[in-house]
This record gives sequence, C-alpha cells and structure tokens, in this order.
Amino acid sequence: MLTILDNFTKRVHGFFQGHVYRNYLLFGAAVMMIPLMHNFGIIGSGTLGIWAYIVIITVVALGLNILLGFSGLISLGTAGFVGAGALGTGVFLNMGLPFELAALLTILIAAAIGALIGFFSLRVEGIYLAIATLFVGEILRQIYTQIEIFGGQMINIGAIRFLGFFTLNANPPSERRFLFVIIVAVMVLMMIAMHHLVHSKTGRALLAMSRSQAAAQAMGVSILSYRLIAFVTATVFATVGGVLYAVYIQNAPTTAWTLDLSLFVIAMVVVGGFKSIYGTFLGAFIIHGIPNLILAELFGDVSYIFSGVLIIVVILFYPYGAIQVFYDVRKWFHKGRLKLTTKRSDRSA
Amino acid sequence: MTEFVRLFFNSLQTGSIFALAALGIVLIFRTSRTTNFAQGLIGTFNAYVAAYFLLRFGWNVWLVALIAIFTAFLTGVIIDTLIIRPAAKVNPISKQIVTLGIIMILVGLIPFFFGVQPLLFPSFIPSRFGIDILGATLRYNTVFIIVLSVALMGAMFWFIQYTRWGLATRVTASNETTSKLMGVPTKSVTMVSWATAAILGTLAALFVAPSVSVQPNMMLNVQLSAFFAGTLGGFSTFIGPVVGAYIIAFARNFTSFYISDIWGNVLVYSSILVFLYFKPYGLFGKKPTKKV
Amino acid sequence: MKTPLLELNQISMTFGGLKAVNDLSFSVFPGEIVGLIGPNGAGKTTVFNCVTQFYKDYEGDVFFDGLKGKVDLRTIKVTDVIDQGLVRTFQNVELIPDLSIMNNLLIGAHKQFKSRLIDHLFNTKKARQEEARLSEKALEILTFLKIDHLKDFYVKGQPYGILKKIEIARTLMSDPKLIILDEPAAGLNDRETDELEALIYQIREKYQTTILLIEHDMGFVMNICDRVCAISFGKFLAMDTPAKIQKNALVQEAYLGKDD
Ligand SMILES: Nc1ncnc2c1ncn2[C@@H]1O[C@H](COP(=O)(O)OP(=O)(O)OP(=O)(O)O)[C@@H](O)[C@H]1O
Ligand SMILES: [Mg+2]
Repeated sequence: MLTILDNFTKRVHGFFQGHVYRNYLLFGAAVMMIPLMHNFGIIGSGTLGIWAYIVIITVVALGLNILLGFSGLISLGTAGFVGAGALGTGVFLNMGLPFELAALLTILIAAAIGALIGFFSLRVEGIYLAIATLFVGEILRQIYTQIEIFGGQMINIGAIRFLGFFTLNANPPSERRFLFVIIVAVMVLMMIAMHHLVHSKTGRALLAMSRSQAAAQAMGVSILSYRLIAFVTATVFATVGGVLYAVYIQNAPTTAWTLDLSLFVIAMVVVGGFKSIYGTFLGAFIIHGIPNLILAELFGDVSYIFSGVLIIVVILFYPYGAIQVFYDVRKWFHKGRLKLTTKRSDRSA
Repeated sequence: MTEFVRLFFNSLQTGSIFALAALGIVLIFRTSRTTNFAQGLIGTFNAYVAAYFLLRFGWNVWLVALIAIFTAFLTGVIIDTLIIRPAAKVNPISKQIVTLGIIMILVGLIPFFFGVQPLLFPSFIPSRFGIDILGATLRYNTVFIIVLSVALMGAMFWFIQYTRWGLATRVTASNETTSKLMGVPTKSVTMVSWATAAILGTLAALFVAPSVSVQPNMMLNVQLSAFFAGTLGGFSTFIGPVVGAYIIAFARNFTSFYISDIWGNVLVYSSILVFLYFKPYGLFGKKPTKKV
Repeated sequence: MKTPLLELNQISMTFGGLKAVNDLSFSVFPGEIVGLIGPNGAGKTTVFNCVTQFYKDYEGDVFFDGLKGKVDLRTIKVTDVIDQGLVRTFQNVELIPDLSIMNNLLIGAHKQFKSRLIDHLFNTKKARQEEARLSEKALEILTFLKIDHLKDFYVKGQPYGILKKIEIARTLMSDPKLIILDEPAAGLNDRETDELEALIYQIREKYQTTILLIEHDMGFVMNICDRVCAISFGKFLAMDTPAKIQKNALVQEAYLGKDD
C-alpha cells in the first residue's frame, strides 16, 4: 500500500518536475485568473471577451506557426478553417448531434480539406501555393455566405452541453467565466501537444523539410508525408479554434472569415515569434489585445494607425518576433549575474 | 444575344480593372519580392482623396482624378522610402505582413481625414451616354475604361520592353543583387514601381467607385481577383497577370449568369485550382531552376 | 573476385541539350575508399544525384548490394535510399541551421524512429525511450568525432570545419554500408584536411563501411583513396590507383588542357 502511494507521489512529483508541464500549467493558471478579475468587477465583460478571443486565436495561430515557423509553408486560408470550426459545430449541433461528436466531425472534415491542400502543395509552391490557399479560403467563405443551411448572416448555437450532462450558457456571467476556463484549458493542452510535437521526430522532420529539402530527402524524410502533417495539423488547430469560438460565443457569423482574419493570424506568428509557443500567445496579445484593450480606448477609430505602426516596428526591429525581447532580458539578466559572481571570485582570489 | 453582348462588354470592363490592379501587384512582387496586400487599400485611399475634393470643392471629376493620381504617386514613394526599403532584409513572410501594417495605417487614416461615411463618386462619362448594340447598351464610360486601360498597359509593356528604364526594371526583377552590382539603380526602380503600382491601383479604384461608392472595402473584390489573376497568368511575366485578369472576369461573369449566381465563383475558383495543379506556375510562368 | 557494392552501368544524364554524364560505368567494392575526380562541371555531383535517386530520369542502371541485398536503385524512392545503407553529404553543406547539433544528428536517424505522430503529440513512453536511445547513439558519434561538447549548440554560427564534421556525423547515424561524400575537404584548412584524412580512415575501421568521395584537393585524394575514377565532360577517363591515375595521359590532358 505504502509503495503504491509512494509511487504515486513520485509520479506526481515527476510530472511537475518535468518543467514543460509545470510552465504551461502555471501559464494557463495565470490566464484563468482573468475571469476571477471579472468576478470581482475589476474588468468588464467586454474585456473578458477580448481575452477569450486572444485565447481562441492563439490556438489558431499555434497551428499556423507549425506551417510558417517550422514547415516554411504559408496559408492564406486560415480564416476559412476557423469559420469551418465555428459554423460546422453550429450546424451539427443544430442537427441534434451531441457537442463532442459535432466538434469531432467538423475537425475531421476540415482535416480532410487540409490534407488535400497538403497534396496540392507538392506541386505548387511559393506565392502560387499561398494564393491557392486563398482560393480555398474564398471557396469556403462563398459556401458559408451562400449556402442555405447556414441560414443567412449568423447561426445561433446556444448553450453547449458537455459530455452529455452539464450545460453551459454564455449568458449568465458565472457560466461564461466557466466557459473561459474551459477554453484556456484547451489552449494549454494544445500548447503542450505542440511542444511535444515540435520537439519530436516530427518537428525535426518538418524543420528539415523547410530548411533543406535535399538533406531531408537524403535522410529519409518523405516530403509528401510531412507536407500533409503540416497542413493537417495547422488545419486542425485552426478548426479547434473555431470550435472554441462556437463554445464561448455560442453563435457564429457566416461573413467574418475573410482574408483579413488570415492575415491577422499570420501577423500574430510573425510579430510574436516564429517557432515560439509563448511567442504565439504574445503575438495574439499584441495584434488583438493591445489595439482592443488599450489603443481603442485611447484613440477610437484612429487606433488602427498605431496597430499598423506597431506591427511594422516589431518586424523591423525584432525580426524573430517580440518574444525575443524576453530572451534578451533574460540574457541580460544572466550576464549581470555572471559579472557579479566573477567579480566576487576576483576579490577572493 | 442581348445578354451575351452586355456580359461581354461588362467582362471587358471588369477585366480591365482587374488587370490594372494585377499589374500593380506583379510589378511590386517582381521588384520588391513581396506580396502587396495593401495594393487595394492604397487605391482606396487615393480614391477617397478624389471623392473628397469632388464633394468638398465641387471640382470636375477629371481634375480630381489627376489629383488622386498625383497623391497616388506620392503614396507609393512614401511607402517605399519609409517602410519597404528599411524592410529590405526582412524575411519574405514578415515582409508581407509589413504590407498588412500598411493596410492598418491606411484604414486608420481614412476616418481621420475623410470621415466614416461612404462617399459617392461619378463615372468619368455620365452613364446616359452610350450606344445600342444588339439590344444591349454599351456605355461610353465602359469604352473609355477599356480603351484607357488597354492603352495604358500597352504603353507600360512598350516601356518595359524598349526603354533603358524598362530594362533596368526587368533586370531588377530577375535578380536584384546582381543588378545592384552591375550598377542598375535598383532603389529608384523599386521606388518608381511602388509609385506606378499605386497609380494603377488608384485608377482601378476610381473605375469601380461609381458602382460600389468610395468606402474602405471597395477594392476587396478587385484585389482578390487581381491576386487570382496573377496566379493564373503566372507571376514571372508582366503579360500573364493581365491575361489572367480578363479570363477571370469573363469566367466569373459568364458562369454566374449562365450557371449559377451562387456557385459560379466557387466553380471558377475550383477550376483554377485544378488548372494550377497541372500548371503550377500559371499560364505563362516558368519553373525557376535550382540545383542541389 | 568480390562482388561490387555499388555498380554504375552506362549511366547518362542530360539537362536540356547538355550531357552532364555520358555513358559512365564504374564499380565500388566493399571496404574501399574510392575518389571521383574531374574538372569543374565534369558531372561528378550529377553522378551522386543519380546514384542517390535525386534524379530518376538517368539512362543506364545503378545497382547497390546494401543492407537488403542487391537492388536496382532506380526502383527505390529517394527517401528510401537510406534504408539500403546508402547515405550522402552535399557539396554545399545542407544542415538545419536552427536546430542543435544533436538534433541534426537525430534527423539522420529519422527512419529508425518507430513512434508515430500520436506518440509525439502525447509524448508517450515509447517516444521518450526511442528518443533517449537514439540520442545516446548520436552522442557516441559526436564523441567519436570529438565534437560532443557542442551537442546542444545551434548549427547556425558554427565554423565551417565543424559544419562539415556534423554532416559526416549525420551520415553515421544510419549505420551505412556506403557513405558518399561530395567535396568533404572543400573549404578546410591544411590542419583540418589532415584531421579529415585520419577521420575517414577511422570511420572505415570503426563502422566497417565503404566510402565514395568527390574531391578537388589532389593531395587529399592521392593520400586517402584506394582507387580513383577520373571523369571529364561526363565521360569516363580512367579508374586506377592514385599513383597510376596521376600519370595517366588522358587525365593530365583533362586537367591541364591539350598542348598541341
Ligand atoms: N539541375 C541541373 N540543371 C541543369 N544543368 C545542370 C544541373 N545540374 C548540373 N547541371 C550542369 O551539369 C554539368 C555538371 O554539373 P555537376 O554539378 O555535376 O558538376 P561537378 O563535377 O560536380 O562540378 P563541381 O566540381 O564544380 O562541383 C554542369 O555543366 C552543370 O551546369
Ligand atoms: Mg559538384
């Protein structure tokens, strides 16, 4: 009995020792504090909504980072897949399917389209591939805006019933805060999954494919497989983002999934940091949070100017993304400490 | 037949507008190596300038168009000097996002200068003037747009093909580093390209303005079609995107009229995707050579 | 007579109108170190690209008696060539700059990983164990090449000599029967070249492997190779011991030009 307990505590201990989990969980816990602030009236519902959007779009941008940062591929069709996640979930829910099944079906369908793009990318590259993904995005958008079952401007989703027994509604603030916690939990899970992915054989192969196709092939990396993996994962992340949108907002517009949104998601990766998981969140915060939480309050319509300047300035001065700022600070900090210790040892010598 | 004739001229007109925008995009793609997502908004911004002068001072449409062309020139030069040139060494993906930054700046500037209301803008030749062909009315304005665009593009091709400056542009487009070493003024070439592209975009915007009025997303459709035209025609030539533009205009107009208003675009886009699968560098494009 | 490990049978490769390789045949036997020499543009890299199946539309046949018995390499996909025990390096170092040296080596073991995408997403025990096992193997190789202290550094920013070493180390990850090196000594200084000579011998001993290499540095080729194959304008000139190749009239002519 004791050994089992001992074993168990050891495992729990080991779990937190593996600092990967610890860091992401702490990060998630910190973001989950935001609804608490809402609870105590420190921030309003609008602000909570903006944070929720940051969380949702982070998941989308993480997927795009797998494409842009690791695989050297680009997609201008991201918005179409976020739309697919939100609208697909809505349509299947309205057809009476349970939430989990609705989400799963949506993700599978989107993944299949992602796989098609992956195939396509073997023949078409560069700007042609980028615009081909824009075609896909546009086709999806046309379907959303035209097709009957989506019923016009918006589909209502309403309360979500999780696991068949507990229902959460976006309306009373208490339940909305709970929804917020759920989407943050999903974001953290996606972050951890991405962390594992990029530090594995798969992540290395993606990098090899984008940095040196010749070397990758000579080492046995099948370009087809990894293009597929790259596009399918990016699509799944984007669609999961869309599902989270459906979960939190509980309705889905049919017209919002335009090129602009796709470009903003790219901007989050570029501005936050290629290949960086925390950087992606930072990018989402800079691109969506700063304008809406700070600039809009201060400047209204004109705030776009500042966002634009911000994007350009970050790109010019932090080509590896704003997350670099943190690394610089850390390096600087370490250097400072190093200097101190060497000074001390000088004295003792 | 009447419908056919109407669609035919209509497609020639939209094709010309798409072609102007596409030419602007390919010009910048070739000389600055970036996809300029701001092409549409640069046009929009200067269309605002024209509409503003027209409404505010009641100036003639031709005069305000000239003013807009002049401000377009300035916009191009300013964007190139202040933003694009400092970003020369930035990686290609980030560089595209720089143009997103430009979009946002322009979107912010529009309400600041021109307010939030859409502005009306008339056609160059009032729509009551036209002739009857097989039952369809051919407006002189349509003729004007087609003739001016074709003439302008013809002049540009001649210029690119037969003048020293055109040569410099072609050389810069094919290899900037080498051109710089050979003494080609690549900086000026890029600057003039941005200015020219801005003018082309502004003309396109002024041409669509009467039907969609001047408002921030007036160029959405044109810009998207221009990208598609570039892909269909191939970005490695200047003529490709122009041909692509006319094909897309015709295909979209005719499929949405004869097949389905709803599924026409979807059909056209899907066919282009299939086409691209077999000709990945567009109609006129060539595969760039690379060695292991 | 031993059976050849690698056998090129009347290989030709044409680019547009240019015959980069023209009716070339030669063989490499197990345990040999063979040099492939020729003036610039002679078609040496093209030969390597045909052998390793980067080009598929060559004429003639390439046979390889590797880990899975004798095969016609044309029937093997470019990404499966490594499974046969045939691995190469590149003329312009092809490494992944934004990965650590250790991870660059692990790419060389790509095909030895049996875990799948799902294992990676959830970092299952299987994935972890495999990663640990192959990392150990990589560390062994790095130690053998005396660059183990650099294992966690990025490839980007390493000096050229180290880059060349990493590329060779990466080939060793796959337990190859034949290693093909495209100009391994190019860009190295004299001391590094001497070190490379010793290293190649050691690799042959320790890993029981065969080596085919392209090199312009004649001193290096003469020192290290058991046999040398000389080509010019894609055509076979001669194949013999280094000493005899040096004296060969055709080879001298190809390098020095004909003096009439
Ligand atoms: N992919 C290709 N497309 C067209 N021509 C090529 C290609 N690869 C090589 N060539 C041409 O084939 C000839 C042989 O090239 P290759 O690279 O094999 O020479 P090499 O012997 O390796 O030369 P070097 O010693 O300079 O590396 C050259 O004329 C080269 O320009
Ligand atoms: Mg070579």
